[in-house]
Amino acid sequence: MSTVKIPIGPQHPALKEPINVTIEVEGEQVVDGKVRIGYNHRGIEKACELRTYVRDIYLLERVCGICSHSHTTTFTQGVEELLDEDVPRRGLYIRTIVCELERLHSHMLWFGVAGHEIGFDTLLHYSWRDRELILDLLEMISGNRVNYAMNTIGGVRRDISKDMIPTLKKGMDTFRERCEYYLKLCSEEPTVLERTQGVGVLPTHMARKLGAVGPTVRASGVDMDCRKDDPCAAYDEVPFEVCTWDSCDVFARVAVRILEMIQSCNMIQWMLDHLPKDEIRLKLKRRVPEGEVLSRYEAPRGELIHYIKSNGTDTPERVKVRTPTLANWPSVEYMLKGCYIADVPIIVASIDPCISCTDRITFVDVEKEKTWMWDSNQLRRYGIEFYKKKRW
Amino acid sequence: MSRKRPKLKPSLKEDEKLKAELEKAFGETVKVWIPRAKRMFIKVKPGDHRKVIQWMRDNWDLQHVTSVTGVDKGDTFEIVYNLYKYQGYRTYPNVKTEIPKKDPKIETIVDILPSADFYEREVHDLLGIVFENHPNLERLILPDDWPEGVYPLRKDWLPEGVE
Repeated sequence: MSTVKIPIGPQHPALKEPINVTIEVEGEQVVDGKVRIGYNHRGIEKACELRTYVRDIYLLERVCGICSHSHTTTFTQGVEELLDEDVPRRGLYIRTIVCELERLHSHMLWFGVAGHEIGFDTLLHYSWRDRELILDLLEMISGNRVNYAMNTIGGVRRDISKDMIPTLKKGMDTFRERCEYYLKLCSEEPTVLERTQGVGVLPTHMARKLGAVGPTVRASGVDMDCRKDDPCAAYDEVPFEVCTWDSCDVFARVAVRILEMIQSCNMIQWMLDHLPKDEIRLKLKRRVPEGEVLSRYEAPRGELIHYIKSNGTDTPERVKVRTPTLANWPSVEYMLKGCYIADVPIIVASIDPCISCTDRITFVDVEKEKTWMWDSNQLRRYGIEFYKKKRW
Repeated sequence: MSRKRPKLKPSLKEDEKLKAELEKAFGETVKVWIPRAKRMFIKVKPGDHRKVIQWMRDNWDLQHVTSVTGVDKGDTFEIVYNLYKYQGYRTYPNVKTEIPKKDPKIETIVDILPSADFYEREVHDLLGIVFENHPNLERLILPDDWPEGVYPLRKDWLPEGVE
């Protein structure tokens, strides 16, 4: 039987990372998958070289709309290391609290999207309603819902006042309760189990070999987490566990993310209880001495690194950004091999990329030279129908 | 209230041990320095980077490539392989090598560490460094109609409208 190539993607204007995935199918099964990225390459690395460190913070905040705080955290702590300065502990704690709040809303967003991909839209609406709670808390702290502009070189820009603390703690209680409910729901609900168990398997040795990061690698049983391996900000003082799962499939990725959300709630409450009483920021010089630094942080999607090289002026010589999604694409290529077409949306979504990249799909039949197009909705519907039929 | 964090500097014992292992295996070929705990920079000549990385893979079970960074240094390009050692003591070795700008060629490490695939393609795209024997050195980031021979991350290239 001859194979058919299906290019998926690439363009959607509202996205951070539009992508093209070309899958080769034989009947219902995928035999190969290839990824092509760069459709939204904005040249931020080059732009960073042309701006001062302070302006770069706000530029790098816009690399991603969901993990904006992760990028500024990585960048500012890299510059602080180059300056060889210690940030006040209260500043670090507030930075870490915002980091964890960001992880909560990012994971909850993904959880809803995963529900949508498997045709469980109730889950999407429930989880996005809960996500609003976190966005409101972030707005209370920073004044913004997505790009918080909290980090600056030498600390954070806004303090957490006394009257915010009870609201934050209460919010965490509510959110943890919801997460526990979702964990119970996911381990019992047939819709979730049928569409996620045994789907998109990434064995432990392959996850390591392909350099997967974040919840993707932790769902393959590897306890790789920058927060523990190379603690930054206040992570060396906060108690938490690295969550892993051994089943290596999409279900494992769901479970790991929910468990991580519960951990994050506990971490935030612990940090609010132990908030140090010194300043929130340190005024630092604008000129950064010559040197190079590799700054790492565990963003919601996985390990994020910035390699910063300074030349003694107020602008960097080189800023290299490696986002976690890039590290996970080789794993997607691997996972797609041997899966059903119906599972493509959830497998691509399982690493938490910008999923609307699967917005436009062209089907090309090599033998008949026939081309037709599906958008992501049709593909999603196809997936749901496929599994409805399979049940009998 | 002290401004400094009340924390002891982490010990460099484990890092020094790894450094000694590397120096024992390669002697003069490598120059190793440790700026802080869990960071290690290793400077090698262009041909030797493969040997060092292969040795690290075989002896330290190092499989994870975090990134490959290219830096334009005027007459030369610096290539930094940002690696991650997961087994045992977790640390981040960075293998650095420099190649002339006139003939920007270096041998790939994809056959040793497959996870370097995308990162080498990215550096090839943006800086024009050719990774020899790479199985699939196609365009990854720049658009398909981007002119040949124009590399945006080189220092002599400036975006339009910037003075």
